[in-house]
Amino acid sequence: MPLGQLLVDGLAMGACYGLFGLAVVIIYKTSEVLNFAAGETAMVSTFVAYHIMVISGYNFWIAFVVALIFVGILGIAIEYFFLRPAKNPTLLGLIVITIGAQMLLMGMASWKWGAEQKQFNIPFSYKVTHEPISGFIVSEWAIAVFVVAAAVMTFLYFFFKYTKIGTAMRATQQNKHAAKIMGIKTDRVFAFSWAFSSIIGALAAMLLSAKNILDPGFMMESFLRAFASAVLGGLMSIPGVLIGGFIMGLVENFFGYVMPAWKPITAFVVIVLVLCVRPSGLFAKHWVKKV
Amino acid sequence: MRLNKVMLVMLVAFCAVTLTAYEGLAQKAGFDDKEIRIGQWGPQTGPAAPWGAVARGTKVIFDLANEEGGIHGRKIRYFIRDDQYNPSQTMAGVRDLVDRQGVFAFVGGVGTAPGLAVQQYLKQKKIIWTSVCTGAKGFYQPHNPYLWGVWVLYEDDGSIITKFLVEKKKFKKIGYLYQNDDWGADAMVGIKKRLKTYGMELVAAVPVEPTERDLSSQIARLKASGAEAVIGMVAPTSAAIALRTAVSVDFHPQWIHSYNLTDFMLMNHITDGLWAKEGVMTSAFTEDIFDTRIPIIKKYTDAAKRLYPQERWGIFFAAGIVVAEPLVEALKRTGRNLSTQAVANQLNNLTFQGMGPKIKWTAKNHRPPRELRIWQCGPKGEVIVVQDWSVNELPLSF
Repeated sequence: MPLGQLLVDGLAMGACYGLFGLAVVIIYKTSEVLNFAAGETAMVSTFVAYHIMVISGYNFWIAFVVALIFVGILGIAIEYFFLRPAKNPTLLGLIVITIGAQMLLMGMASWKWGAEQKQFNIPFSYKVTHEPISGFIVSEWAIAVFVVAAAVMTFLYFFFKYTKIGTAMRATQQNKHAAKIMGIKTDRVFAFSWAFSSIIGALAAMLLSAKNILDPGFMMESFLRAFASAVLGGLMSIPGVLIGGFIMGLVENFFGYVMPAWKPITAFVVIVLVLCVRPSGLFAKHWVKKV
Repeated sequence: MRLNKVMLVMLVAFCAVTLTAYEGLAQKAGFDDKEIRIGQWGPQTGPAAPWGAVARGTKVIFDLANEEGGIHGRKIRYFIRDDQYNPSQTMAGVRDLVDRQGVFAFVGGVGTAPGLAVQQYLKQKKIIWTSVCTGAKGFYQPHNPYLWGVWVLYEDDGSIITKFLVEKKKFKKIGYLYQNDDWGADAMVGIKKRLKTYGMELVAAVPVEPTERDLSSQIARLKASGAEAVIGMVAPTSAAIALRTAVSVDFHPQWIHSYNLTDFMLMNHITDGLWAKEGVMTSAFTEDIFDTRIPIIKKYTDAAKRLYPQERWGIFFAAGIVVAEPLVEALKRTGRNLSTQAVANQLNNLTFQGMGPKIKWTAKNHRPPRELRIWQCGPKGEVIVVQDWSVNELPLSF
């Protein structure tokens, strides 16, 4: 068994899942909405970056910044036009709304850029490889993934702990009504958290498509993995999600190596097992409401 | 008075039903003095849309026939139904074409699952259907008197590729990356049967689900097996991801894929040039569609440029011509006295080669040809023919 390779590949993919899982968790933490449109929002932003690079001819970094600004606005638009108008929505109602947004975004991407597969390149190529230890081949793409995941994680730590908006987001998550009484504009917090999570999702999507393929369906499978990572780490724990992503990537890679035919169901098995054994995930505190 | 009203409503309803039925009956023949109606389904939208070019490519050959005054004075009226690669939508489209438009025949039709969804219906309706776009054996077992195959069986595909790798390229360790469905399973039968004749076995056989986007573990397994060559029976997206992942871990076997991946332009684009750099090979079921020195290729290339300049001349678009050629030939040979049986008789005795492989159908054998070529993607993305038409001489497993 090529232990080193499975380890490196598993951790790199796991970092992508964890990063994308963060996008799901930030919205869930703030508004308790499971955003099923997260994958497609990220997919559209990658297409925007692709469009700016390939069709308009600008360099990657310009495309990258414009795509991040675009996806932030898109996140706010989804929250403002789709979720905010819903009056006293149930959990199922919110899920259906995000599924509707998902279908709309996918249809728009297919219409605008077509269903044919495209390549999306970032400056950190999967083709350039290093072998620091025998059997551990690390591509520049994988290094970029680790660096971005570490940077985002560090940023989130300081953001939630030391910034006003981060504290407001935590307060809104803990008690929306109390936060309102304390003068926090919760509607703005929700809009900000949608923008913020969409930007993190877009980062993950750009990294994933640089290794794989860009087409309107490319984030569907990754969303499932990211969701499994979030459930595994705990939907309320930000570091837990990233660790959940790493575990998910490793489990999937090792399991896929030994029993490749069963690899696609790994994410489902993880979700079911965690929900049965520890519903709040490995790293989130299990709250029991006492009456 | 009330009874009269009820009677009147019933009479109107009866007339409507009768007229509709009459219209259906009138169109059932599928042709009249001026036109022959032919249909095809294919994904024009949705994730499989790149394969939808097949249905659009067919327009070229029908338009050419119509420009020449039609076939024995009858113009071809061609219908396309977008099924989004969804079998339930295939059925809806086919029923519409058969029951409402009254088509005479179908050509092509992309995909195993969409084809299987309408197979029995078309057979019951005795509608002629040539060249379903899949090499799954399920279409020819049992014998369907109204279906004639052009798309080479996947079992033959696997066998011909393996023979090439072992006999011509002298590879000793062959791995297999396959889509976990009938396609991969059918081809595996051909591969294993061929390897057995050399006393060899696959060093690794690794399945892939078409929706999977991370193939790290599959590639790790193939690399660990020591495979010198890897046969791929996977969709374009999976093939591209597999190649990218292999390069990212310094794994450079000789990749050779099925004939469904002969669109080198597309594959080279989505693999960032790796398709050419790694010299990927595929089996192929046509002449080199870019070699305009071949008269038939020049004829169709010129026509496609003139009639549909907005379309890319790729393998799927060209395949639309391949699937329709035998039916056009049979219609020409049938003459003015057209009927389903008359055309079926011609197809049952058809020996023909157009842009695709050589067809030889008999009343008892409607199976597709058993020959393929092998192409390699050259350094500039061009086609290099590394082996001309080669027949699988081993008996089929069914």
